[in-house]
Amino acid sequence: MTSEAELDWKDIIHRCFRCGYCKFTYDYNDFNCPSYKKHRFETYSTGGRLWLIYGVINGDLQWSENLANVLYSCPTCGNCMENCRFEKFNFLLVDMIEAARAEATKSGFCPEKQKVLVERATNPEMWNPYGEPNSDNEALKKEYDLPDEAEWVYFIGCTSNYRQQNLRDATLRLLKKTGIDFTLVDEHCCTSPMLRTGQVDCASDFMNYNIARIKNAGASKVVTSCAGCYRTLLKDYEKFGADLGFEVYHTGELIKKLLNDGKIKIASNYDKVITYHDPCHLGRHMDMYEVPREVIKQIPGIKFVEMERIRENAWCCGAGGGVKIGYPDWALEISKERLEEAKETGAAVLTSMCPFCKTNLSDANETFNMGFEVLDLIEILDQLDIEILE
Amino acid sequence: MSNVEVLSKLEEIVGKDFASNSPEELFIYSQDPGVSHPRPVDFVAMPETVEEVQQIVRIANEEKIPIIPMGGGMTLSGLVIPVKGGIVLDMKRMDKIIEINETSRYALVEAGVTSGQIISYLNEKYPDLRAPFPDAPPSITLAGNALIHGSGYLSQKYGDHGAMINGLEVVLANGEVLKVGSCAMSKYWFTRGPIPDLVGLFTSAFGTMGIVTKLSIKLFPKPKFRDIVIGLIKDLDTIPELVLNLTKTDIPEDLMVALAEKPDFMKGYAILMLYINGDTQEELASKTKILKKMYRKNKATFMKMPPKYYDIFLEQPQFAAKAADFRKGGGFEYVGSFMPLEKIPEAIEIARDISLKYGIVPTQVSRIIGRGHAVMFAASYSFNRADPEDMEKARKALHETNEMVLNLGGLPWKAELGGQKLMIEKMDPNYKMLLKTIRNIVDPNGIMNPGNWEV
Ligand SMILES: Cc1cc2nc3c(=O)[nH]c(=O)nc-3n(C[C@H](O)[C@H](O)[C@H](O)COP(=O)(O)OP(=O)(O)OC[C@H]3O[C@@H](n4cnc5c(N)ncnc54)[C@H](O)[C@@H]3O)c2cc1C
Repeated sequence: MTSEAELDWKDIIHRCFRCGYCKFTYDYNDFNCPSYKKHRFETYSTGGRLWLIYGVINGDLQWSENLANVLYSCPTCGNCMENCRFEKFNFLLVDMIEAARAEATKSGFCPEKQKVLVERATNPEMWNPYGEPNSDNEALKKEYDLPDEAEWVYFIGCTSNYRQQNLRDATLRLLKKTGIDFTLVDEHCCTSPMLRTGQVDCASDFMNYNIARIKNAGASKVVTSCAGCYRTLLKDYEKFGADLGFEVYHTGELIKKLLNDGKIKIASNYDKVITYHDPCHLGRHMDMYEVPREVIKQIPGIKFVEMERIRENAWCCGAGGGVKIGYPDWALEISKERLEEAKETGAAVLTSMCPFCKTNLSDANETFNMGFEVLDLIEILDQLDIEILE
Repeated sequence: MSNVEVLSKLEEIVGKDFASNSPEELFIYSQDPGVSHPRPVDFVAMPETVEEVQQIVRIANEEKIPIIPMGGGMTLSGLVIPVKGGIVLDMKRMDKIIEINETSRYALVEAGVTSGQIISYLNEKYPDLRAPFPDAPPSITLAGNALIHGSGYLSQKYGDHGAMINGLEVVLANGEVLKVGSCAMSKYWFTRGPIPDLVGLFTSAFGTMGIVTKLSIKLFPKPKFRDIVIGLIKDLDTIPELVLNLTKTDIPEDLMVALAEKPDFMKGYAILMLYINGDTQEELASKTKILKKMYRKNKATFMKMPPKYYDIFLEQPQFAAKAADFRKGGGFEYVGSFMPLEKIPEAIEIARDISLKYGIVPTQVSRIIGRGHAVMFAASYSFNRADPEDMEKARKALHETNEMVLNLGGLPWKAELGGQKLMIEKMDPNYKMLLKTIRNIVDPNGIMNPGNWEV
């Protein structure tokens, strides 16, 4: 007999009752599904989407631009996975939406704006969704004096490499300071933007390429500063049948390990009030809530305050799932709500551990003049003295 | 007016984002989670203010377009699926909690306020007060529930939720705004009498009399502790007397008799689920002691709640939607009914037979309303949404249950079209005549959820 976990999503999609728990926070004090909160038609709740998808499977509905639009106006934040009361769905809801996006793409209804991500990423001059010339990272290797082979590979990720270079450089400096044996590879897009937007055709090629590069560098461990790459490397590569053959860490995990193992110590003060935004791809998608908080708590002088909606209940930044490129104004609105929530804590610094969250939160911070310092936690650590204990 | 013109009018009123006739919205709003067949919808609109509701109703009235108010759309009995097409008015953008009066204990809310919203609002801001809400998902509206005579965890003590309405603001078919209850002449929305009670015109009317935009509902004090005292009943015939004796004590806050195959301990028994509360643990203990004695006297057996079920049974609202997956098919619908207490044993037996006849595991609950003055008897039929035959079986079971309820002298509650038809057949002719006359005066063009209560 097939166990529930092995069931294909198409076999269970009709079992969504559309009860609506997926729209809320745990204690129902707000709608926590960004898409439902904005559109308010039942159509835009996760339950609504599942019913639409089932309608297509059944032949009751035809693919259309608008239907694709409903499916794509979701940042795949996973609030629905947390709040759905039917266990069979918990781990599958976002997968179903992504699978339906793949069907939309096959039927020729992937929206133009999201298509651009893959057009750029598959361009041999680029290999990244930002349309920048590919960086083979050789210059960085030289600058930071990195070997060709090492125990660790720092997988920079396109957002850090092409949009948040400060985070990239801060990570490089911090890794250097910690003394670990690491290098960089000529990485291509990790495939997150492809998978999240249902453009999956060439994903395996990218995965195999990246795995080969990492193995060529002789690495047994990968560390990334990107929540999206982290989720993709750890969860999606396996789903696509790729054999990693190396461990994957988020920078937060590595720093926490070094701190806890007594290998490093933070030796200067950070005298600011900060709050932490849980990136969906790290939190709800990967269950990593405690790690960044434990690191924050080890920073001398810091005053850490929490927002109202945190951890499993966090409000999304609005950038994920192709929303930033597809619906840029709405993406900013979603971030604005997060910044307003952060304001209530009295924090001066809003930190996170995802370059994509950082981009969107910073954009909203600027657009709406919210007055925060938006920093990745690694950028904060980069400002501090790190003492090597061994 | 062409459809294009109607849509553009609606967009002008509520904004482009909140009016639609795209196939996707129409698909979703043409069906509900129950077993009714989908029926076509022409437009969906989400107003945010009373003025917007008025403007929409005026256009609908001029153009004779049906208009169907919708809250959570969770009755399961197809009540918000248009019968004759038209505009579904999804009220959930009207979501302001306007006032909590702590002294006269009421909440004045807009029609789209959900139970989830009021639960968390009171928990945070008024932890000593609680609102009446059903064991339906938190996405349902207080208005939708109270307007259909819903019931919940306060109903044994304080009556059904329709009885807890203090007053309403309603947009009538001609676009005028009406206030009923004390708010018709006072700034306090605290009572519906002592004036001719027009609130009743709008309850269980299924949107046929007007669009409710505001609702004042009674709030109740919230004791610190709550507990459940389970009893097992072997002989169904003992239920009425047991309930009478229990309600004499004034101890039970919520009192239900359930029949279910799951969890395992419920198999083969009718289960008495009796909720108590108090401000101290000692109070709970002494109430439990009295109840245990009373169970013994009335041939019921006290059972300690297995710890693993404790949280499940004490959750508010209970996760009753799990019934939707009993057949691993994502669907269930129940005939709810208001029954006389003395008919409960018979109703349980007959509904069990109906379930078995259609191969559905019997699942029933009887919730005592107002110390036994009525019982909300519900027989629930799960179905597999992907299996048309299974859905047809559920439809037949629902129909036979409606017939059974009426035969026993009960009234189907929130009845779907078929149930309404059976009720109308039985209805006193003068009741029908008066209802029809009022409908014709209030809604001469027949735009308010037509097809429902067609007397
Ligand atoms: C799992 C589950 C458990 C349930 N448990 C209970 C329970 O314990 N107790 C209980 O009472 N019910 C229960 N129900 C039934 C039902 O869900 C609730 O009664 C619910 O509160 C109905 O509210 P709604 O907002 O969904 O109403 P809707 O379905 O949206 O509307 C109900 C009716 O009221 C009309 N209406 C809605 N809003 C307005 C308005 N503003 N003006 C005029 N007319 C309006 C509609 O046209 C419709 O006819 C349950 C349902 C489910 C699915």
